[in-house]
Amino acid sequence: MKPFIILAITLFLLPSLQAVDFVHEVMPILKEHCAECHTGNKKKGGLAINTRAELLAGGENGAVAVSGDSAKSHMIMLITSNDDSEWMPPKGPRLPPEKIAILKKWIDADLPWDPGITLAKSAWEPPLKPRSVALPPALKGREHPIDRILDADLAKRGQPLPAPTSDAALLRRVTLDTIGLLPTPEDLNQYLHDLDSGKFTKKIDTLLSNDIAYADHWLTTWNDLLRNDYTGTGFITQGRTQITTWLYQALRENKPYDQFVRELIAPPDKESAGFINGIKWRGDVNASQTTDIQFAQNISQVFLGINMKCASCHDSFIDRWKLAEAYNLAAIFAEQPLELNRCDKPIGVMATPKWIFPELGDVDAKLPKTERLQQLASLMTHPENGRFTRTVVNRIWERLMGRGIVHPVDAMDTRPWNEDLLDYLAVHFAEDGYDLRKLIRFVMSSHAYQSKTVILAKEPGEDYAYSGPIARRMSAEQFIDTIWQITGTNPTKAEAQANRIIAPSQDALPEPTLKPAVINAQWIWHEGEVGKKTQIRKTIDLQGEPKTILMLATCDNAFVMKINGANVAESKDWQKPVYRDVTQHFKKGANSIVVDAEMFGGANGFICQFSILEQGGAQREVATSKDWEARPPGGTWALSREISPHGGGPWGKILDPEAPILSQGTIPPVRAALVQNDFLMRSLGRPHRDQVVTTRPGGLTTLQAIDLANGDILANYLKTGAQNLTNRSLDKDLGQWLYLYAFSRPLTAPEQSILNEVATGDLPNSVQVEDLLWLVFMQPEFQIIR
Amino acid sequence: MKIMNTFEEQLARRDLLKKLGAASLAALGTSGVSAWANTAPVQHPAPRADSCILIWLAGGMAAPDTFDPKRYLPFAQGLEVEKILSTFPAIDTSVDSIKITEGMENIARIMDRGTLIRSAVQPDLGHILHSRHQFHWHTGYVPPQTVAAPHMGAWLGKVLGPKNPVIPPFINIGQRLEGVGEKEELKAFTTGGFFGSEFGPMNLPYPEDAVRSVQPPKGMEPGRFANRYKHYQKLVDQNPNREWISDFQQESMLRSMDAAHRLLQSEEKNAFDLTLESKETHAKYDTGRFGRGCLLARRLVEAGARFVEVTTEYVPFVHWDTHENGHTTVQKLKSEIDQPIAQLILDLEARGLLDRTLVIIASEFSRDMMIEGVPGSNAKDQSRAKTDKLSEMKHYGLHRHFTGGTSVAMFGGGVKKGFLYGKTADERPLVAVENPVSIGDLHATIYTAMGISPKTAYDIEKRPFYATEDGLGKPVMDIFA
Repeated sequence: MKPFIILAITLFLLPSLQAVDFVHEVMPILKEHCAECHTGNKKKGGLAINTRAELLAGGENGAVAVSGDSAKSHMIMLITSNDDSEWMPPKGPRLPPEKIAILKKWIDADLPWDPGITLAKSAWEPPLKPRSVALPPALKGREHPIDRILDADLAKRGQPLPAPTSDAALLRRVTLDTIGLLPTPEDLNQYLHDLDSGKFTKKIDTLLSNDIAYADHWLTTWNDLLRNDYTGTGFITQGRTQITTWLYQALRENKPYDQFVRELIAPPDKESAGFINGIKWRGDVNASQTTDIQFAQNISQVFLGINMKCASCHDSFIDRWKLAEAYNLAAIFAEQPLELNRCDKPIGVMATPKWIFPELGDVDAKLPKTERLQQLASLMTHPENGRFTRTVVNRIWERLMGRGIVHPVDAMDTRPWNEDLLDYLAVHFAEDGYDLRKLIRFVMSSHAYQSKTVILAKEPGEDYAYSGPIARRMSAEQFIDTIWQITGTNPTKAEAQANRIIAPSQDALPEPTLKPAVINAQWIWHEGEVGKKTQIRKTIDLQGEPKTILMLATCDNAFVMKINGANVAESKDWQKPVYRDVTQHFKKGANSIVVDAEMFGGANGFICQFSILEQGGAQREVATSKDWEARPPGGTWALSREISPHGGGPWGKILDPEAPILSQGTIPPVRAALVQNDFLMRSLGRPHRDQVVTTRPGGLTTLQAIDLANGDILANYLKTGAQNLTNRSLDKDLGQWLYLYAFSRPLTAPEQSILNEVATGDLPNSVQVEDLLWLVFMQPEFQIIR
Repeated sequence: MKIMNTFEEQLARRDLLKKLGAASLAALGTSGVSAWANTAPVQHPAPRADSCILIWLAGGMAAPDTFDPKRYLPFAQGLEVEKILSTFPAIDTSVDSIKITEGMENIARIMDRGTLIRSAVQPDLGHILHSRHQFHWHTGYVPPQTVAAPHMGAWLGKVLGPKNPVIPPFINIGQRLEGVGEKEELKAFTTGGFFGSEFGPMNLPYPEDAVRSVQPPKGMEPGRFANRYKHYQKLVDQNPNREWISDFQQESMLRSMDAAHRLLQSEEKNAFDLTLESKETHAKYDTGRFGRGCLLARRLVEAGARFVEVTTEYVPFVHWDTHENGHTTVQKLKSEIDQPIAQLILDLEARGLLDRTLVIIASEFSRDMMIEGVPGSNAKDQSRAKTDKLSEMKHYGLHRHFTGGTSVAMFGGGVKKGFLYGKTADERPLVAVENPVSIGDLHATIYTAMGISPKTAYDIEKRPFYATEDGLGKPVMDIFA
């Protein structure tokens, strides 16, 4: 209706007020000769002319029309050119002189363009400001705001509401989504028998309050996004630093996201500076990959879902971003004046430090870098910057629901499939104090999240319409973590420098705790000729269930300790003794301690003491002495030789009996996100983090499958895991236990009979268990979070 | 209820999954990254070769001491080093117009089977780091890049797909990626890049152990391995939840597991097993790990590999990275490469495979006795054997990086036989003075031989990413027969 009215007014006013009739004279010319390449979503040469503003904004080679001066207007030059390599339009008939005259007259008259008229619908422009959404009424009593929005949309399309999934499937999903692990069979049993109607909310809260496990899981996502890793290009020349310690702590304490981003953009100290500083490669690099430009690209991509990669080489052909904008953003970070380079060639124009959304304010170019960065940090997290909140809520939605509301998640300039949902979540997130865990909780507490995953024949494309959550494949880290979880094969050493000590809760029951003991251990080795290597063993019998068992040990020079088959400690530095809570590795009855020790030269010796508190007993100490058995590798076991008591030899009082007690905490098993990338994880899609990574491939490839079928790394986990599980006298059927653990469901009869073919007899041996494990871990049902 | 009906209707179609044993293995090339669609579709040239072997002399092979002999002066006390251009005398080859250097007599005999390019040039990347130049050579892009650039082998796998679906299309022989210097930089380009790990390399650092990559895990006898997979299929079949998992996710997993087990139980897996070669053949190839790598490459190409790289292995300051003792080191290196390379060409020819296999011998740049980078370069002089006059043998050799004129040899795959292309100056600086070939042009030539347009582009983050930088690589058509 509106254009028609304007048109009528314009017609009426025309003869007296306007020298040129845009609608009747100019528009037909533009439509006939220019529209094919420069309207709608078409932007040949970066030029769109849907609106007057777009026309005046020009294309990749600068302005095409100078208001009031047709002689200086590039478009007139091109239209009248005799050079067929540049004339416009490139194909089709040339413009006759009378049409050119109209265009000239129009430009000279300051390009009058009737308000509201567009040549074609512009490409969708994402709004900047946050927008409050009026919620549609709830359907079927589903009151959660997410459900009200999604249900209304489903109803409009005549689609059924997705059905709720089962308790067991939901428990598995929510556990993997919050902490990246599986619910244990005990968790499952407890949950299924909990009659509380609010048990799911309770579960979310329990999981999300497990700070360490939450951080262990979400570290993967944020390491990918923030290009943080423990190895990689750039470290070789100190051209890159980690932010691991800061990042882990931020996740652990749930630092509000706005504060989190401010500390990344304007680092208060070097701990969080590694992200903006980028990777500095040795040697000369392309102008579009200097650390200044990396800064502009990375903050735009990660925090705003804006792709500045095109614009950091030339004005973008696909969106509105210009070379100058990318450079001006980079100049906020640059130490030195920054000259614009187009396609790696300097163009003699200097960048001015400038923020990309002037509507929200700007940085003061005259201030020094640190203050410019502080201003930028405030602008990025400005309450009116809706793109900032939309970008992150969309990323979290994609992680939990399988597909972004805007998808791909980095293309935040494309239209969301549900604008209300995106805008609602963004505003809600800000109102909730930019609290990422609250956001996760909010999504999880919707019926939508708790629905059955949809069954899709093929990967959804641009025509995607929401019909329910989409199942996801486990990340490399989730896959490894859950295998370690079930088989007890977690490595003992993390690469990530992260504080993972769990302090005992203040209001813990006044259980009797261990007291620092006198160290009465002896340095020992095998009898006879001193060899470089020795094996040491000891059986420790517990009369009752273990309550707390601490281990103190060191070796000159290196050792690996296994308790009941599981690796519990290793060290290569005698000056750094290992203090560890090993309670979880002990059981009532006989416990086997096996140590492989090695000396690199010079003095040799291994020393160790356990402080043990068991059910129904007082604290007691078990320390190395000649009663422990030792042998050279392959030799025969014999009582060991005491070299020196603790405090003697070249070592002094190396073991500190206070240390394990004072640390007053335990460290949970090492997780996959905390160790270096290896061939198996790389093959399963953990990226080489030289660039920001926001999505990983979803499918399984043949090369990955080969690694899963015969790779050494997995084979070793399975082998050790099988030994661990065989050593543990499980009081229930192993197959059943495995299925409950891995799939959160019992074994069916047909499955049972297949497993019986694999593990024959009453007690499966460790080779059979190894195969059982492989059979379970390889199933799509295991690797998919559904 | 309505939903349930839909599922039941789908069941028939879903039976397909259960018959996966018979399903096609055309999964490669169908997933993930899509071709750049904003321009007219590219016209691929007709392929001249179906397989490609890249022989990579990692570390910087000095052209004047190998394929491009210049003024030779033997070691002599007090000799002014600036007079030396080559440290090996020239020898004749089977082509009158081509001379190469002493120590390459076997390769000399096969020069009539291929084309020698003497004018390959590289940009001077400043304080030169080998792995940066290797990144550039293998991906066509100078690092760092905004997206993970795919290796040449990944491009061939992506555009052409596997040649034999059982054999992984991109196989990388001889390079360790752990335990060596600059390993992270090596990993950065030894990758499928944004194409995903599907197109990444199968890494076989030790040719003699290659067979282990296609065998059951250590300690598992084949019967148990086959049984395990049989039980796996049964369990998947009986899985009560399989109807509740999306086809596209499940299918990719089952298909890939199937492909992997096919390879591991196929005839083709024997291609990875060097023990199946006769003693006589071993004698012809086995000059060490590199020689065995050439033999493995031949077996893999026979079995249908698309792209195989065999490297002398890059380890900083080792092998072709000659910063001192250059002459002595290159003498030894030549004895490692001369016979196996020549034998590889002859064997491929004897099997009728050379015509459809492009074999490339290349290195990241050349070396010179005096100049680092190119004239006017800001690169630091990295020679460890700096001297004006020779006094010790360790000073004798080409110890500085040189990017102004490098040799590349190509055999088979439709290239001219006994042909010489390009020329370097006869006096220092030994820069290319005729027909310089950039990395983009060299890649365009290789891709053209393989039937891939240098303008081929894929869409990544809504931008085109081209096989040659910006799609601008121009093939050197003169070298094709």
